[in-house]
Amino acid sequence: MRQGARLRLVLRDLASGCAFASMAVSGQLPLWTLGLYAVGLVSALAGKRLFARRAKLTALLLLGVAAVLVVNVTAGTLNLVVAACAFAGLISAHRLLSAPDPATDGQVHLSGLLMVAGGAALSGELVYGFFLIAFGVLASLSLALGVVEASVPDGEPLPVRAVMPPLSVGVGFAVAGAMAFFILFPRLNWNMTGPRAAPGLGPATTGFSNTVRLGGTGTIKGNPRVVLRATLNPDPGVDALGAYWVGRTYDIFDGQEWTSAGGVKRMREPLLTLRPGGDNLVHQRVELLPAYGGQTLIALETPSRLGNAVANSTTGSRRAPLQEMYGGEARFAEPGLSYSYEAYSLPPGGSGDSFRRLPSVEQDALLALPEALDPRVSQTAARILNGEREPLAAAQKLATWLQREFTYTLELSGDHEDPLADFLFERKAGHCEHFATALTLMLRTQGIRARLATGFFGGERVNDAYILRAGDAHAWTHVLVPERGFVTVDATPPAHRPSQGSKWVQQVLALYEALESRWRNSVVDYSFRDQVDVARALVRPPKGSEKAEQRRLPPPRAWGAALVAGLVVYVAWRAVTRLAGRPRPLDATRFVDKVEAVLASAELSRRAEETLEELDARLAREHHPLTRALSPVTRRYLEARFGGRPLRQGEAKQLLRTLEDAVAQHTRLTARASRAS
Amino acid sequence: MRRKQKQRWARLRAWLTPPRTLKVTRIGRTYLVVTFGVGLGALNTGNNLLYLLLGLLLSMVVVSGVLSERCLRDLSVRRVGTDEAFAGEPFAFRWALSRKQGHAFALTLSEEGAPLAGGGGVGYLPAGVEHVVRANLTAPRRGPVRLTGVRVTTTWPLGLFAKTRVLPVEGTLLVYPRRGYACQDPGDAERGPVGEAGNPRRNDGSGDVTGLRELAEGEDARRIHWLKSASVGKLLRVEREREERRTWMLVVESGLQGDALERRCEEVAALSHRLLGEGHEVGLDTGDQRIRSGAGTAQERRILRALAWLGFEDERAEKDEEAA
Repeated sequence: MRQGARLRLVLRDLASGCAFASMAVSGQLPLWTLGLYAVGLVSALAGKRLFARRAKLTALLLLGVAAVLVVNVTAGTLNLVVAACAFAGLISAHRLLSAPDPATDGQVHLSGLLMVAGGAALSGELVYGFFLIAFGVLASLSLALGVVEASVPDGEPLPVRAVMPPLSVGVGFAVAGAMAFFILFPRLNWNMTGPRAAPGLGPATTGFSNTVRLGGTGTIKGNPRVVLRATLNPDPGVDALGAYWVGRTYDIFDGQEWTSAGGVKRMREPLLTLRPGGDNLVHQRVELLPAYGGQTLIALETPSRLGNAVANSTTGSRRAPLQEMYGGEARFAEPGLSYSYEAYSLPPGGSGDSFRRLPSVEQDALLALPEALDPRVSQTAARILNGEREPLAAAQKLATWLQREFTYTLELSGDHEDPLADFLFERKAGHCEHFATALTLMLRTQGIRARLATGFFGGERVNDAYILRAGDAHAWTHVLVPERGFVTVDATPPAHRPSQGSKWVQQVLALYEALESRWRNSVVDYSFRDQVDVARALVRPPKGSEKAEQRRLPPPRAWGAALVAGLVVYVAWRAVTRLAGRPRPLDATRFVDKVEAVLASAELSRRAEETLEELDARLAREHHPLTRALSPVTRRYLEARFGGRPLRQGEAKQLLRTLEDAVAQHTRLTARASRAS
Repeated sequence: MRRKQKQRWARLRAWLTPPRTLKVTRIGRTYLVVTFGVGLGALNTGNNLLYLLLGLLLSMVVVSGVLSERCLRDLSVRRVGTDEAFAGEPFAFRWALSRKQGHAFALTLSEEGAPLAGGGGVGYLPAGVEHVVRANLTAPRRGPVRLTGVRVTTTWPLGLFAKTRVLPVEGTLLVYPRRGYACQDPGDAERGPVGEAGNPRRNDGSGDVTGLRELAEGEDARRIHWLKSASVGKLLRVEREREERRTWMLVVESGLQGDALERRCEEVAALSHRLLGEGHEVGLDTGDQRIRSGAGTAQERRILRALAWLGFEDERAEKDEEAA
């Protein structure tokens, strides 16, 4: 293999790998296809072309693979688009392992292109963008080296170093052009199916279930995956929100598990009003990401209205009807990979619920205790409260005690018959579910109505939005306070409420999230409205710029844009006027140019700085046969150019014809004479 | 009058011919189909990532156009030509290619508008260096081939499009008759063993051995046959037949046309090659032209050139006129 060709093949193989990765990041490809492709790519990069001698025979393997994929599609276990993408990847793997030749190279690049297109259909991840650019760069370099290699004679080395700089510049311009096209090309779609969602890599983490079982390790607290993204209005403007985001509540505890009383309250509503709101509601635009994995809507405590919900799946987006469950839980009626919706929540301070307006099943459940509750729980609660009957004060007293006397841990092993007693009297350590359960049941033993709430705690600012991680999953207590409704009281030590993952990992992920958020806002969700905004942003004063409004003057950006536009117009105008204002050659000058061309055909050309008049004089001295034809032409030219007698219509043509005839005749005679000699 | 019309047509053709021609390659066709599909998908679904991909694909097309144009700019070519071209077999042809500034990549050179198959290539052409591009061309028939220009093609950078520029370089390539075997006998030689042709009965030549005899006084010792002398015991010299050097005047009958003329030209070319190779003198009589007999490679070239022009006298006259 000639020098440089190996590099070309490595670039080709890496480009194919990037194309496959752009699909793989969607998490939808079957694992076995990932494995097969990885083996193919590693072998190819190691220079082991396993199918080089049996390309046609091994192509039968692809038929087998296709059959398996078809079976999966017909069985409904695999989406057709995903199957097609997987098949494209395996074709590419087969080609990587075949003997390298121009046809194979073309097939590898083509399958790469199809894979990248498939990746666009399957995934909206930020990583996709990286792999797309990487594929574009690597494939371009490989193609260019291939083109040059085809033109270099055998035995000569490939000029790799010379190829790279101009091509890199070209690829840079191509990427810039792609961005310009992306920003400017109007989004007037024929059939807007909306954004698609991919499950991403790894299983979903925080799906809410109908029960909460006490005990076990709290593995989720260390999980940094982002499950929710929300923009708030009014924007709190803080980096760490430290808010409670409620998902659902539980009111019946059997000693080991929490469950809810009642079932579905309302079916398939486009908009749910859980409780009346006021003027000071906090508006949230919420996205539940594929890592969330549940159908329960999450909103800032305490949600008042939920609606405008959209469920995203691999095939597109659709409106999602909502269900209201007992206990104030809202669910999506149809499954989806990710969701977006709007929510309005009351400001902190209480839900405003009245006990008497609660459904009877909920009223009864708010004081329910497990049959085999350890009597020490009630005794301990009574001792700590020491006669305090006011619900909120009692709850805070117990929460303070729990935070002071108990330690927070995620390392809990095994199931216990009475996990609450184990937490309170034996181990004296637990995670948020133990703290919340203990507080709720201790309050109930004292006749104070309370329930367990689950959701998330926190909110980390990324760009203009707040994100929640799987590790922010949390449990706390709702205490029913007269005139205020349910009030949140959290017995978990404050330091352990948010995610307990590694700070370093979280920082890295925060950076990725910031980029991913920008990618999502600027690329994946870019719309015609955004295009209009880009145009308007050049002339509209920025939001909140009251001074600008007062001055009624355009912002500096508008001046800049106007300046650039003015410069462009000026340069164009200068170019046009320069062209238009160019001194047009006189008719006589054009005529003499034609005369020169005719003389050139007779191999008569002017010497340096020799005028036509001087040429005519020289030919006359030499008794040149063309003198007779040239002299009148010269005379007439001089009259037209300097004597104020311009050429008449058709005169130039006539003079030229005469000269051409003379030249032709002279040429014939010369040829005849040379033959005779 | 006819020439004027020809010139007029040539001018019109030159005016109508675009400065660059673009041809989509096979991989380019596939690329465009995929681009169209991605565009359709983007418009139909509104998937922004498909828009991004479409933007990248279209930008690549534009960049490809710009880079290939930069490759073909500032080129100048000079025809180095060939030593000899025989019809129906590849011959080495060369062009000297250079550019004033910038680099050029993946250039393929061939002759424009001439029935010459084949082309040569250069992978990388830096500025200010004259690079000689070699190609194996094949001409299908005998005779003068009018060369109007050199076609320079590049598929740089991605091989999606082949952009071509024609650099006008006038010239004529003379293609000699196809090489083959002479089926006919050359006939009788023009002269007998007199004059310069030598006497075959004289045994002081360098031909076949005619016998051995004793070495006489003063004779050249280099003629001694040492093996035989050793066995006989006296110095014996070899006597060799003196080689003949005869003269043939090969004739191409006037009035031949088409295949018959071609066949005769090939026959005469093969005969002259064989006879000149054997050391004889060969001349040519074509009716219009007569080449005096002579020996050696220069004579063979003269004969081949005359045979190549046979039947193309009009073009020759035109060429001579132009030269004059």
